[in-house]
Amino acid sequence: MSRIGVFVCHCGENISATVNCEKVAKITGELKGVEFATDYKYMCSDPGQTLLKEAIKEHKLDGVVVAACSPRMHEPTFRKACAEAGLNPFLCEMSNIREHCSWVHPKDDLTTEKAQDLVRVMVEKVKKNKALNSIKVPVTKTALVVGGGIAGIQAALDIANCGHKVIMVERQPSIGGHMSQLSETFPTLDCSQCILTPRMVEVAQHPNITLHTYSEVESVDGFIGNFKVKIRKKSKSLDEHLCTGCGLCTTKCPQKKIPNEFERGLGFRPAIYVPFPQAVPNKPVIDREHCTYYIKGKCKVCEIVCPTKAIRFDQEDEVIDVAVGAIVMATGFDVLKTDYFPEYGYGKYADVIDGLAFERLASASGPTQGEIRRPSDGQIPKKIVFVACAGSRDPAKGIEYCSKICCMYTAKHAMLYKHKVHDGIPYVFYMDIRAGGKNYEEFVRRTIVEDETQYIRGRVSTIYEKNGKLIVKGADTLMGGIPIEIEADMVVLATFFAEAHPKLKPVETNTAGIFLAGACQAPKDIPESVAAASGAAVKVAALFSNDELTRDPLVAVVNRSAPPVYSQCVGCFLCQSVCPYQAIEREEIKNRNGEVIKTLARVNEGLCQGCGTCVALCRTKAIDIHGYSNQQVYTEIMALLND
Amino acid sequence: MSDLIKKVTALLNDKTINAFIGYEKGSANRIRAIFVRTEDQVQKLILNASCTQNLTGYLMKHEVKKLGKLGILANVAALRSIMQLASEFQIKDGEVYVLFANADGSLTEFTDFKSIETFLQTTDTGIKSEEQEMIAKLEAMTVNERWLFWNKEFEKCIKCYACRAACPMCYCHRCTTDVNQPQWIPVASHELGNLDYHLMRAMHLAGRCVNCGECATACPMDIPLNLLTYQLISPIKATFDATAGMKADAMYALSTYKPDDKENFII
Repeated sequence: MSRIGVFVCHCGENISATVNCEKVAKITGELKGVEFATDYKYMCSDPGQTLLKEAIKEHKLDGVVVAACSPRMHEPTFRKACAEAGLNPFLCEMSNIREHCSWVHPKDDLTTEKAQDLVRVMVEKVKKNKALNSIKVPVTKTALVVGGGIAGIQAALDIANCGHKVIMVERQPSIGGHMSQLSETFPTLDCSQCILTPRMVEVAQHPNITLHTYSEVESVDGFIGNFKVKIRKKSKSLDEHLCTGCGLCTTKCPQKKIPNEFERGLGFRPAIYVPFPQAVPNKPVIDREHCTYYIKGKCKVCEIVCPTKAIRFDQEDEVIDVAVGAIVMATGFDVLKTDYFPEYGYGKYADVIDGLAFERLASASGPTQGEIRRPSDGQIPKKIVFVACAGSRDPAKGIEYCSKICCMYTAKHAMLYKHKVHDGIPYVFYMDIRAGGKNYEEFVRRTIVEDETQYIRGRVSTIYEKNGKLIVKGADTLMGGIPIEIEADMVVLATFFAEAHPKLKPVETNTAGIFLAGACQAPKDIPESVAAASGAAVKVAALFSNDELTRDPLVAVVNRSAPPVYSQCVGCFLCQSVCPYQAIEREEIKNRNGEVIKTLARVNEGLCQGCGTCVALCRTKAIDIHGYSNQQVYTEIMALLND
Repeated sequence: MSDLIKKVTALLNDKTINAFIGYEKGSANRIRAIFVRTEDQVQKLILNASCTQNLTGYLMKHEVKKLGKLGILANVAALRSIMQLASEFQIKDGEVYVLFANADGSLTEFTDFKSIETFLQTTDTGIKSEEQEMIAKLEAMTVNERWLFWNKEFEKCIKCYACRAACPMCYCHRCTTDVNQPQWIPVASHELGNLDYHLMRAMHLAGRCVNCGECATACPMDIPLNLLTYQLISPIKATFDATAGMKADAMYALSTYKPDDKENFII
């Protein structure tokens, strides 16, 4: 026989204005199994909680129903109070007679009756409640940061400075990401490299950070606090410990005409190369696709000239396993491919370039040493057109949203151009100028007013070449849509920045312990990327602040049964494919000789979020959720129906 | 001595299998299943046009599993049952030796899942035309007419669970019907419980039924139970492009998500 306590809260007048709380307590106090029932003005207040605790002790209650507000509001409060009185917190349930009753009904006897029904249902449920214990999960206090751009660097440094180990994985031979390609940054026109490179060096030298460049994450297993990650370290054809980074090999390599990715194809690099002079680590890799030795089987000039004999032609990819407790995804973005804009001649005309390529032209360390010269003939363009929103906010291209940072970098491009080519005329085709941010609007104004940039509101319809000029056709919608034609020497497309998808299944970003930072989540500028990265780092640091994670035990469980069946599961594993958290594992049931009799489902308590999808799909009803078992929910329904 | 008897004798002799599930003559001109373990039992094996039962249901029975490595005489529906059971991790590749009876009485051996998959791709696995006619009739009915039709059929049900025992996909050792904490399905064979039971069974077979028709054949009250599950085959095919029992590593249509799944059922 149960000894349940019912505590009806007035919630000031929130409940008592329409529900007769005294009557609810009196009637439900007569229910079978209810030992004690009372009402109080504010159950959640200190005296209210004391009343509850005293009653538990005095009446030796083995279950509690608090009839008050939504459990989302005060369930933790009352469960904690129960625990303090020595009652297992999961024997306490809340009956929501505020949002589900008093707030939505008028003052009436029926409203009070409904409140009684809601309490009765919960009393029946509590009778079936079981004492549960919190789940403890150990935490590996090492973080994995995927991506070595500004977001990844910031996150790694913040976590490392909190005293935790960090493993950083970067796909390229150097960290730095897109920010290292930028010339100057808006709105202050700081040199991008000058801000970034000290941070890159800090990452490389930080005692808490292990850096894996030219590497990719192959797989992620496990759960919050306990991930197992496979990292593929691609072969650099180099012994990094011997290499001093003298760079002799890169100057002697006979392959010199490989389009340089870092320069957006505007310059060339050899087959053994360091992506840019300030690279971290400043050690070369061999691009096997273009290396003469790997193509023709002979050359090895780099091996001959290397003073430390560091070249390793037979080096193979290495796959390493690491254990981490948290993962920060900072995989960044990519610029849209050239085939996206056939009407703009992007990829067809050499002088139609994208924003990142313009950054390289404007960069002091770029292919033109910072002079704006057009790619086709090296001439200085006198008329230049910047096309904002190239690809974004265009449902016809399938990208309806704003890529956010292009307004600002286009204004910056126009300003940089005017600073370098004083007699040149920059034109900007725009849809709206979105310059929300500290000093952003002022920056755009400066571009328009001081640097005399011609802003034209309208989309560019087409660009074609005629007599060595690029004819840009568009309309000025502020002038009633009159057609505009500009004979330009060069065109810069503010192309859409597509966030690079994390190399995980999309659902896994729902997974606890995996955080996002930077532009892989949505288009972000540098300050936003840094802020998001620091945010992710704090989440990681908070996770690492305890040796164990404590979780509510309201997770799924596969019911056991007596031999010879052992478990009610039949092992069809349909639950495994439906689980969004990959929390279903395979458990081998063995006999006393150690032979596997059958393979059945088991729930990983660390991964399970208690969503209940497996429960709904399980045909044998072998899976239950602690706290919301089939039996409990069924009992609730029957209590309502068997009034 | 027929090919079948020769083949099974050889399989038993060289210990490829411990038992073979086939057909033997039953009482009153009926055919029944036989579990051949010894050489003298082999002689009882028969194979003729009346041998139509899908024997794969037996593969999942505890008593049969205990016999050791099994061989089975299969028809098309049985091959599909094996594929579906494999996709639900109930049979491992190479675990069951399959002899397929061709229309001309010759035998084809299948020792792995791959060869069964290849065979099924070029085989007619559809529903028989007379059954298709029945389904068309059901679909032509108004919802109310269909409701009355099935209620009338389920009135006959005596809850003997022969359909469940015959179905190769009803392998759960504890059926929802048998769960009594809570009691999901009323046990007595009254109208409401009968409807609950058959709807539950149909839902549990959605996307899994291999249209062998064993449920209807087994029913002593002649309820056309197969139509209930057959009716779910074409919507699943149309909505998720999935057909049960064609691939050993198929993912269950109702438990997996594909980005191009139709979502027009979401209001």
